[in-house]
Amino acid sequence: MMSQETTRWIGHACSYTPTPLIHASGFTPYRLLPMGNSPDRAGQLLHDNLCPHVKRILDRAMENDLPDLHGMVFMNCCDAMRRLSDAWRAARPTDRVALVNLPVLAAESAISFFADELTRLSETLSTWSGQSFNQADISASIAKFDEIADLLGELSNRAHTGTLEGGSSRLQDLFNRAATESVDRAVELLRTVAEEMELPAAAHNGVPVYLFGNVLPDPEAFALFQSCGVHIAGDSVCTGMRAFSRIGGNDSDDVFVRLARGLLDQPRCARTFDPSRPGKIAQDVLAEARACQAKGVIAYTMKFCDPYISRLPAIREVLREAGLPFLLLEGDCTMRSMGQQKTRIEAFTEMLR
Amino acid sequence: MMLQYFERLASRLDAKIAKNPDIPNARRKFAREIAQLGTRLYSGQHRIAWCGVIAPFDMLAAMNITSCFVEFVGAMLASTGAVGTFLEESEHAGYAADTCGYHRSVLGAAMKGLMPLPDVMIATSSPCTGGLAAMENLARMFNKELFVLDVPASDTPESVRYLANQYMDMFRFISSRTGETIDEDKLREAIVKSNQARELMVEVYRLAQNVPSPASGQSLANFGIVMALFLGTDAGIEIAQAYRDEFESMVKTGQSGAPAEKIRLLWLQNRIQFKNPLIKMLEQEYQASIVIDELNDITWEAIDPADPFVGVAKRTITIPFNGEINWRLNHVRHLSTAYKIDGAVNPCHWGCRQGTGARGLIQAGLKEIGIPVVNLEVDCVDTRNFAEGQLRTRLEAFMEMLRTSPSAA
Repeated sequence: MMSQETTRWIGHACSYTPTPLIHASGFTPYRLLPMGNSPDRAGQLLHDNLCPHVKRILDRAMENDLPDLHGMVFMNCCDAMRRLSDAWRAARPTDRVALVNLPVLAAESAISFFADELTRLSETLSTWSGQSFNQADISASIAKFDEIADLLGELSNRAHTGTLEGGSSRLQDLFNRAATESVDRAVELLRTVAEEMELPAAAHNGVPVYLFGNVLPDPEAFALFQSCGVHIAGDSVCTGMRAFSRIGGNDSDDVFVRLARGLLDQPRCARTFDPSRPGKIAQDVLAEARACQAKGVIAYTMKFCDPYISRLPAIREVLREAGLPFLLLEGDCTMRSMGQQKTRIEAFTEMLR
Repeated sequence: MMLQYFERLASRLDAKIAKNPDIPNARRKFAREIAQLGTRLYSGQHRIAWCGVIAPFDMLAAMNITSCFVEFVGAMLASTGAVGTFLEESEHAGYAADTCGYHRSVLGAAMKGLMPLPDVMIATSSPCTGGLAAMENLARMFNKELFVLDVPASDTPESVRYLANQYMDMFRFISSRTGETIDEDKLREAIVKSNQARELMVEVYRLAQNVPSPASGQSLANFGIVMALFLGTDAGIEIAQAYRDEFESMVKTGQSGAPAEKIRLLWLQNRIQFKNPLIKMLEQEYQASIVIDELNDITWEAIDPADPFVGVAKRTITIPFNGEINWRLNHVRHLSTAYKIDGAVNPCHWGCRQGTGARGLIQAGLKEIGIPVVNLEVDCVDTRNFAEGQLRTRLEAFMEMLRTSPSAA
């Protein structure tokens, strides 16, 4: 599945994970995606009402369906993820585990605090790796991850305009590989794909739809959309482009502040929001749907995911007022549950045509 | 509707207290203050703040703000038996039945115009993600800007400083929105009162540890979490004093809170907020008494009135529900030992990820020190899902098991 002879993996499970920091410390970040066929055992430690994302990851951990991880970095992004870090320690008591505080807002004071947290994480990673690294190393890693972001951004645009061979299903496979392979290999792969000839823009005949939500890593799910006549013209999910937003900034900036700002400024999940504009996520969804000229909006959310399911009524209301049809798909990280939605997706597409 | 309800409740309790003025009347004084808080919230004559659960209510009191966590309204609606309508209202609007019932009921109440428009809204990122989302939704409905206290989950000097600075920002935020000035003397005075209530509550809890315990299944229900609303005020001191006096007197005479206490129970997290027969059944049929609730404890040091922001930040960060599960586990283990507990009851509130989510870990952690746990599948607010027969059967089986265990003999 992957070369492990020279790679030391650090696992993570959240889009807010400071992957350049992990890379700069001599490790390779490995995103644990809620995929595979591990048996359902998470219920021994976590209640059934926790989101399937964290339970599937715990299933993988309990089944040891993982590369040989040197450690795990958890972001304290939501109740479920914090509980996953607790359960992980119980299920794998000898693993190295770090839990990083993640502010819920992007105020200057929050960025400054988060920068301190990242400094603390860098010290932990340095202890784990036994090697020191400096700001220049982190800047170099940021540059690599920003290149990945740029390449994926370009490929994402191609998928949205229908000019990427394989469409959004292939794009998701690229996201997954970029999240689980070594940085150099990911860059090489993405450059190769970016050099491919673009398809003519008229190659697809699906109905343009804007997709948003949280965890949807299975390329088969996107193939299913395609088979139902949906063309993903724009999207925002945390296993997609949101996990690869550019960090940006300048090399002259304090690198921890730069990382903190880069991660918080472009919210990677509904759990981070602007308190001066409550419900802004609804306006953002509408604006993005309009920007990609979508005829409808599909939300895909994990069952029991509070950050998303709590905000869906506001989003639904804003879309209704704007006259944009909306379809909510609730899932559990399995294709089985997606398959059950096929008829609904087809009916939605028919309505939009 | 709510104003009349609270006014009537306060008046009824006043009359009962006046009838027997020479006894401490602890629970009645506690309930009366809740009614008075409700009256202030709904009277339209006070500046009010809707808040997250762990907002610094003593600090808000120092600014003349009547403040309350929004879950209080959900609990009140459940206790009156009227919650179903409000839950349905929010569910019809798309709020999933899988989310916390406290939050759904409050959102439903806001949609039906039953939540007064606040002057300010102070959310807290802890203890739960759902609570923060509910506050954002309420702010959207009220068209109000939200102030968020971002509570870190680690007890480090950096975390304490970060939160302490946010309290100063909160004061400026409130001042700019309400015109209330920040009076440092009033703040110091509120902290002194908080400390006085805290000292008395330490005594109350120490007395409750006695065998038999002066605490009955109902006497300290919701006490710790609601008392936070009265910190920094004279009322908080008066209530704590009444409990201290009542329990002290009972301990002196060997009086048990629950009749013929034989089995001592720890209640985890929140109570079931609507009327139900389970507590009475435990006491009457099994002489099993809830002598301690997980939320009834003082987990913070007295706060230096000269440096309140740091002390309050430390108090907030170190609540056992914040942070990693080991904080909570160590706390419930400590309570189990201190109160000589035979078993624990965990009402796994449906929709609660942060509390119920960890039930397997809590159960395993208490098992390590020999404390069995019974998990009840229940929504502490939603009467529609209350499966009394099933819960009764589970509790009965648990009691039989405890009765035959050596520690309860």
